[in-house]
Amino acid sequence: MRSASKAELEMPEELAIRIEDLSIKYKINVDTKRTLKNAVMRASKGEKVRMRVVEAVKHLTLDVPHGSVLGIVGANGAGKSTLMRAIAGILPPTEGRITVNGKISTLLALGVGFNPALSGRDNIILGGLASGMTRNEIEEKTEEIADFAALPDGFIDMPVRTYSSGMYGRVAFSVAVNMTPDILLLDEALSAGDASFKEKSFNRMRELCAEARTIVIVSHALQTVNDLCDTAIWMNKGTMLAKGKPEAIVDQYLKFLDVGALPSAFEDM
Amino acid sequence: MPTPRENFAPRIQVFAPHKASLPPLGPYLREFWRRRAFAIELSRFADKAEYLDSKLGKVWLVMNPLLLAMVYFLLVTVIRGSASKTSGLSTLAHILIELFTFYFASNCINGGALSITAGGRLILNQAFPRALLPLSSTISAFWQFLPTIPVYIFVVIIGKVFFPHTEIPGLGFNYLWAPFIILCVGMTGFGLALIFATMNVYFRDTNKLLSYMTRIWLYSSPVLWRPEILHGWQKIFLYVNPLGPTLSATSSVWISGKSPTLYELLGCLFWAIFAILIGGYFFVSRERDFAVRI
Ligand SMILES: Nc1ncnc2c1ncn2[C@@H]1O[C@H](COP(=O)(O)OP(=O)(O)OP(=O)(O)O)[C@@H](O)[C@H]1O
Ligand SMILES: [Mg+2]
Repeated sequence: MRSASKAELEMPEELAIRIEDLSIKYKINVDTKRTLKNAVMRASKGEKVRMRVVEAVKHLTLDVPHGSVLGIVGANGAGKSTLMRAIAGILPPTEGRITVNGKISTLLALGVGFNPALSGRDNIILGGLASGMTRNEIEEKTEEIADFAALPDGFIDMPVRTYSSGMYGRVAFSVAVNMTPDILLLDEALSAGDASFKEKSFNRMRELCAEARTIVIVSHALQTVNDLCDTAIWMNKGTMLAKGKPEAIVDQYLKFLDVGALPSAFEDM
Repeated sequence: MPTPRENFAPRIQVFAPHKASLPPLGPYLREFWRRRAFAIELSRFADKAEYLDSKLGKVWLVMNPLLLAMVYFLLVTVIRGSASKTSGLSTLAHILIELFTFYFASNCINGGALSITAGGRLILNQAFPRALLPLSSTISAFWQFLPTIPVYIFVVIIGKVFFPHTEIPGLGFNYLWAPFIILCVGMTGFGLALIFATMNVYFRDTNKLLSYMTRIWLYSSPVLWRPEILHGWQKIFLYVNPLGPTLSATSSVWISGKSPTLYELLGCLFWAIFAILIGGYFFVSRERDFAVRI
C-alpha cells in the first residue's frame, strides 16, 4: 500500500523481495477479554494490563531474486505464517524492513474467508477484487479461473458452504494463481487438493516461474518443497537456522525433528 | 536465471515499522480509490447473501422503520394531546422522514463498527486499505435507505388526498437540496463508523455501548420533535449534535418546504468533513495494528 521514497527505491533490480533485519512481535493481552467494561474496571482498581510479548520473527535477513521458488519449512509456531503476512504487507514489522518489487498475490493459512452463502463464481469475483484486481480484469478472468478450478458438475454455481475442503481449496488457489502475480505467496495452500489438481497446480507454478515470477511456499509436505523449490530456508522459533538447496535443508530439518526421513513426512499432506 | 519480464511494471513497496502514525496519505488514498469497486461489490454481495432465499426480508427493511415511525407517531400525539387534523399529518411526515434519515446514519455506524472485527480472515490474509470495509457498510446502509424515500412520498400523497389543507409542501425546488443533505448524512455516518470500528477492535463491547448511545442520540435529535421548538441559545443543542444540522435541514426541505438555512448548510458540511477527518485519522493511523489484534 505504501509506495517508496527515493532512497528506499534502491533495491537491486534482480531482487523480488529483500528482507533486512526483520523482527515481528505480537503483544498478547493475557488477562481477560478486551472489553471497555474490563478496561474501566481495571483502571478504577489501578491495575495494569498484563501483556506477553511473543517474538514471532527475530532478526531475519533474506534476499529472494525474481524467478525463484523459495520454500520455508519449520515446526509449528516457528513464525512462517507471520513472515508471509509481513511480506504481503498485512503485518507491519516491529523492526527492520521489507522491500517488495512486484504485484503480490496471497493465499495464506485459514483461507480467504469466502462468503459461504454465495456461489463459487461470486466468491471468485469478490476474491479477485479483494486482491486488487479491477472489475474488468476479474470479469474477464472469472471463466478462466472457474475452468482452472474444474469443480465437478456445476458446483461452481452452488453456495460455497456445500463444498468439500478440497473444492474450497481449488477455488482459492485458482484465484490466487490466475491473477498473474509477480510474487505469489502460498501458505499451506496445496494441502487439500487431490493428486490431479496438485499436478495441475505444480505445472501452473512452474509456468509462473518460467516467466520470472517469484513464489514463496510454506509447506509441511516436504516432498512439495523438494519438488518445486530451488531454495529453501528452515525457520525455528523465529530465526532462520539454515538456507540452501531444498534437499539439504529438508534433511537437516528432519534430523532436527528426530523423526528421520519418515515416509509420512514425505507424503503430500 | 530468467530475467524479469519485459512488461514487468516495477511496483516497489516498502514495509517498515510505523513510527509516524499515518502512512503516506497520497498512496493510501489512491489505493483506496482504485479499489472502491471492492467496497461496492462487497456490499452488493453481502446483500445478495443475506436475502438469497427471502425476498420478504427486503420488504421488512422498509417495514421496520415504517412501523416504528407509526409507534412513535402515536406516542407523540398521545403525549401532546389531540392533534388537529392538519398538523397530525405533518407530524407523521416529519417523524417518518427524520427517522428514515436517522436510521441511515445509525446503520452506517452500526454496520461499520462491526465491519473490521467481522472481516476476520479478509483482514488477516489480504492487504488493502481497511477503510474499504466501513465504506462498504456505508454503501449497504445507503441502499437500505433509498427505498424508504418512495415510501415516504407514498404516505404523503395518500395523506394529502385525505387532508388537502396540510402544510406539507408539494413539488418545489427545495427538494434539490435533498441529495446534498443525504450525502452529508452518509459522510458523517462513515466518519463516525471509522471511529467506532477502530474502538471495536480494541474493546469488543463497543457495539453494546453504541446501541445505548444510539437510543439517547435519537431522543436528543430533532426526530420526534421539530427543530423549530429551539430558540436563541438553545440552538447550540442542535449544532453540537453531529446529525443535528442534517436532520434540521431535512425538516426544512421536506416538511417546511424551504431551502435549508445558511447555518444549517454550514453545519451539515462542517460535521461531514470533521467526522471524516477525525475518523479517518483515528482509523488510518491504527489500521496497521488491526491484523495483530483481530
Ligand atoms: N494473532 C496472533 N496473536 C498473537 N500471537 C500470535 C498470533 N499469530 C501467531 N502468533 C504467535 O507467533 C508465533 C509464530 O506463529 P506462526 O503462525 O507464524 O507460526 P507458523 O510457523 O506458521 O506455524 P504453523 O506451522 O503451525 O502454521 C507463535 O508462537 C504464535 O503463538
Ligand atoms: Mg502457519
